[in-house]
Amino acid sequence: MINEALAPPLGASGPAAWLRKHFFSTWYDTAFSLIFAVLIYLALEAFIGWAFVNAIWRVENKHLCTHDAGACWAVIESRGRLILFGLYPYEEQWRSTLACLSVITTIALSCLPRFWSIRRLPILWVAGFATFVLLMRGGFAGLELVTSEKWGGLSLTIFIFSGVVVIGMPLAVLFALARRSSLPVIAKSFGFFIDIVRSLPLLTLLFAAAVVVPLLVPDWLQGNKLMRVVIAFAIFFAAYQAEIIRAGLQSTSQGQEEAAVALGMPYWSLVIDILLPQAFRNTLPSTINQAVITIKETSIVTIIGFFEVMASGNAAIGTGEWGNQYVEVYVFLALIYFVFVFGLSRYGAWLETRMRLGHA
Amino acid sequence: MHDAAISIRGLEKYYGDFHALKNIDLEVAEKQTLVICGPSGSGKSTLIRCMNGLESYRSGTLNVLGLPVGDDTKVIDQVRKQVGMVFQSFSLFPHLTILENCVLPQIRALGRDRTAATDEAMDQLRKMHVGGQAEKYPDQLSGGQQQRVALARALALKPKIMLFDEPTSALDPEMISEVLDVMKDLARADMTIVCVTHEMGFARAVADRVILMAQGEIVEEGTPEQMFSNPKHQISRDFMAVVNG
Repeated sequence: MINEALAPPLGASGPAAWLRKHFFSTWYDTAFSLIFAVLIYLALEAFIGWAFVNAIWRVENKHLCTHDAGACWAVIESRGRLILFGLYPYEEQWRSTLACLSVITTIALSCLPRFWSIRRLPILWVAGFATFVLLMRGGFAGLELVTSEKWGGLSLTIFIFSGVVVIGMPLAVLFALARRSSLPVIAKSFGFFIDIVRSLPLLTLLFAAAVVVPLLVPDWLQGNKLMRVVIAFAIFFAAYQAEIIRAGLQSTSQGQEEAAVALGMPYWSLVIDILLPQAFRNTLPSTINQAVITIKETSIVTIIGFFEVMASGNAAIGTGEWGNQYVEVYVFLALIYFVFVFGLSRYGAWLETRMRLGHA
Repeated sequence: MHDAAISIRGLEKYYGDFHALKNIDLEVAEKQTLVICGPSGSGKSTLIRCMNGLESYRSGTLNVLGLPVGDDTKVIDQVRKQVGMVFQSFSLFPHLTILENCVLPQIRALGRDRTAATDEAMDQLRKMHVGGQAEKYPDQLSGGQQQRVALARALALKPKIMLFDEPTSALDPEMISEVLDVMKDLARADMTIVCVTHEMGFARAVADRVILMAQGEIVEEGTPEQMFSNPKHQISRDFMAVVNG
């Protein structure tokens, strides 16, 4: 009798019950569900009609691209290479593709926990970036020399983004540690430096790196313009990321630091083995956020004359020939950004789940 | 040096204007168990934290195993490698497994290789009756288990002295005895122990000496019997009345 009384209520199951529970449980649920169903249907129908059913795909049908027709994807066939490669010489674009793949592989591999060690990550990055630069620049073994002024498109965007993160992340760790140093001179001056960098617009910093630095610094120290811009961008990134890491460091308990010290562990081990893993873990959502912002901010380098993917996209519609197809080009660009940013946020979600299970 | 493991003379400590330790003289012989008790704010924790350089002091001398614990960080490092410490709040590393908590300090502080460190860690964990928890993470263990892991972690470094800073104060009542039991075993195995605690049962069972502190001073010092049956000072009598219920 008692067992019977305690048995769980037998809820109806199956798709019909699920639908009723989630969409039609009250009259206003039902009303909202119906209204949104209609809206979603209309939007999807319009989009699919525009993007697929009525779309014009091939360049030879360009004359059909009118205001009433669907998407004119012919522009991508015709100008896709310009968007992806910028001003990079047409014959050599296979090199840009390979270079791009090498950096994407490097990023993907460094996302895997098995590469997270002080020895493996730097080797991986140096190898990945060296491959990129050698392929892009050429000038050896019969490869035509292509200077960085001609690099462009997607591979430039990815190169700038990953360069900024790879240089900026260790800098951020350094800034964060310096800012909580027990020596007041160091703590105060790094705090001041971070505040200065954060109060300057990114554009100002990049202009200074591209235009002002060559006036002040001797030739042999200047490097090329792209390098200076990436470093300036990295410092900007590091100033923000340092505060995120500092928040993470503060969230680890004081007791652990004392325990490590009392156990006789050296300072570097306290930082690398104990504090930083927890700091990154605790601030993962903000860190991914910062990476997403950075990937999108890379488009700002257009202004100092670099043809990253956004600028190449604008160039593709800049001529009269494809001037009406700007929507298609922007949708294509949005798709490219979406692939990277969505990948990044899924990776963040995967890491969070993994860490909640106690690993990493 | 003779057989004094810890030797303190005229120790003075200030927090700003607050006089935290006043003219402390104290000797702890090798293989002795010393219990420090006293009301909160009396300076017991400050004193024990001075012994491995977690706190600095203004004047006086403090020798541990013949080494002067002072400003020289190299000497303090040497002392810390021979002095283990267990804290009130366990202070395990939450992102590492129980085993790794015990292995990593051996590798980093002593430069042991991983295989030797793992053997040693498992050995100590088994002695603390937590060998079966090696692959778990700290937050999956009870407070009593975590504190025994903290003890195993410290013992894996083969210290000559163990410091305990209120090791059972953060524990639920039913877990206190499981931690005190392993501490008693340690005391009987001739480890040199300095323990800040209010657990008078522990003091009675294994302490060679008890000191009572109040307002930064050592008020009274003696064997457990003297302290419990016949305290001389009014402060000691009041305190004993409270902790003995």
